[in-house]
Amino acid sequence: MPVYYLEIIVVALGLLMLMVDAFVKLEDKRSIAWIGMLGLVVVFALLFVVKWPASTEGAFWKFYSSGDKLALYFKGIAVLTTLIVLVMAVDYTPTILAQIANPEAGAHRQAGLGEFFALPMFACAGLMWMASANNLVSIFVSLETVTIAFYIMVAYLRRNVGSLEAGVKYLILGALSTGFLVYGFAWLFGITGSMQLSEISTALAKPDINTTTALFTFGLILVALAFKVGAAPFHLWIPDVYQGAPTPITAFLSVGSKAAGFIVMLRLVSPFLASAELVGKVTLVLTVVAVLTLLVGNLAALPQKNFKRLLAYSSIAHAGFLVMALASSPRAGGNSALTPVAVIAFYLGAYLLMTLLAFLVMTSLRTKISGEDLDSFRGLAKRSPFLAFAMLVAMSSLAGIPLTAGFFGKLFVFKLAVESQHWVLLTVGLIGAAAGFYYYLKIAASMFLSDSGKGQIDLPAISVSPLAKIAMVALMVAIILAGFNPGLILGLFV
Amino acid sequence: METALTLNHFLFVSGVLFAIGLAGVLVRRNLIIIFMCLELMLAAANLTLVAFSRFNVQDGQPNYDGQVLLFFIITVAAAEVAVGLAIIVALFRTKETTDVTKVNTMKY
Repeated sequence: MPVYYLEIIVVALGLLMLMVDAFVKLEDKRSIAWIGMLGLVVVFALLFVVKWPASTEGAFWKFYSSGDKLALYFKGIAVLTTLIVLVMAVDYTPTILAQIANPEAGAHRQAGLGEFFALPMFACAGLMWMASANNLVSIFVSLETVTIAFYIMVAYLRRNVGSLEAGVKYLILGALSTGFLVYGFAWLFGITGSMQLSEISTALAKPDINTTTALFTFGLILVALAFKVGAAPFHLWIPDVYQGAPTPITAFLSVGSKAAGFIVMLRLVSPFLASAELVGKVTLVLTVVAVLTLLVGNLAALPQKNFKRLLAYSSIAHAGFLVMALASSPRAGGNSALTPVAVIAFYLGAYLLMTLLAFLVMTSLRTKISGEDLDSFRGLAKRSPFLAFAMLVAMSSLAGIPLTAGFFGKLFVFKLAVESQHWVLLTVGLIGAAAGFYYYLKIAASMFLSDSGKGQIDLPAISVSPLAKIAMVALMVAIILAGFNPGLILGLFV
Repeated sequence: METALTLNHFLFVSGVLFAIGLAGVLVRRNLIIIFMCLELMLAAANLTLVAFSRFNVQDGQPNYDGQVLLFFIITVAAAEVAVGLAIIVALFRTKETTDVTKVNTMKY
């Protein structure tokens, strides 16, 4: 089966879910999510059997890269993320219905629920397509498919002021970054005369390139991508949007949208880094962005009281580590097997596992505990040892404690910085990681230690839906296995 | 009569358009006007693309790749407006305002 069938299958599944929602009389619309989940499991399995074409003749392959193991890996990330987001969305149903239901109209009591399950599928298709995009046109269209689907999902709770506010902020800043991106694309086309990434790379590597224009173009594109991945100084929207969006969508944003941004960043920044004329200045700019992002993300996370906001700053901090990896491209002549691309791919994989685990625990809690304050984690170990343990694993991995996947993610980034002799980056990265230990383990500590609070003991035990339990166990196992042997993830794309 | 319009003229105009759009997004407070300014930025990019495409002549033909991207940008911008205006309307229904400075319930 040719590889591009996967995207077609995912889009068709999304359409099917919309059709079922519109035309089939369902008592419980949550079964629509089941169609999506089953379909995504099949697509995930198909990832291991798809074939790359023998010949890449024809117009189609100008837009779609071929023979790229990394592309398959990123497609896997997209499918897995969407799958777990759907699991969360099913658990989150009561909250959605409370915020969108229309009491006076005689509509179905679950009216408007179906789209919440179908939209992630379209975003997923966009993400998968982006993993293979090798042309400015296909990069732009796939990125916008993802972004526009996210606009709707973030603002989905249309009677909730927080969700709408997040939606508007995301809309304006997302559209602004799109503006910068296309203007950058126009200039990139102007100076290279091509839309094809490979040809752009050749054109930029020519010694007679106009460096001023090229750096201007790089600046425009970097501004746009910094918005998408949440790198400082364009990270301001992240905490608000993460806090306001429905929790499953926050998880999708923090993993899917970030992965998307970094895939595009890898593809678009590599040609600039490959050019001998530009590499010095481009690296300098990336270093400044990485330092700022690491400091802002890690230090602003320290005083946070709201768990979603904390994870938002944590996501900025992780973006800092990823940009740091990008900025530490090895000096010429370096012969390390760990390229920035491989490190970023590994880090994103590990980040997916631990962030989704944290959000899964949170969605399970959210329906039982009203708030999302850090205080609501007090004494969790007594009420639900399973959830507390899952949270502990997620937090340890996010902090980067050895024997978790997150540890190797950070280790590889630091190794890269050492090899390319970026001592400033290394120092800031270590400060950031140390700050991370404090705010991640603060949560863990409150779960296990502060159970002597008044009234907390009376709260009933928390039950977790079987589906969420399976997903959590799978993620925990993956985090710990990859913590023993990072080769398990690296082997997927190296 | 041959006009003396060069690539630089087009790039200058599109640069000015982009700057006006960006300034509008940063300065104005009405969401609808901000949205119009965003569209202006996209229009600037479109003009740049067409100019580069027209002046980048290969074998007596303009490089049409740029104009292809332009059509995708127009389509995507239309989709963005459809979603964006819907969100703004939904916001107006709950808060009765389109002033961005009043959309600030979330704080640090």
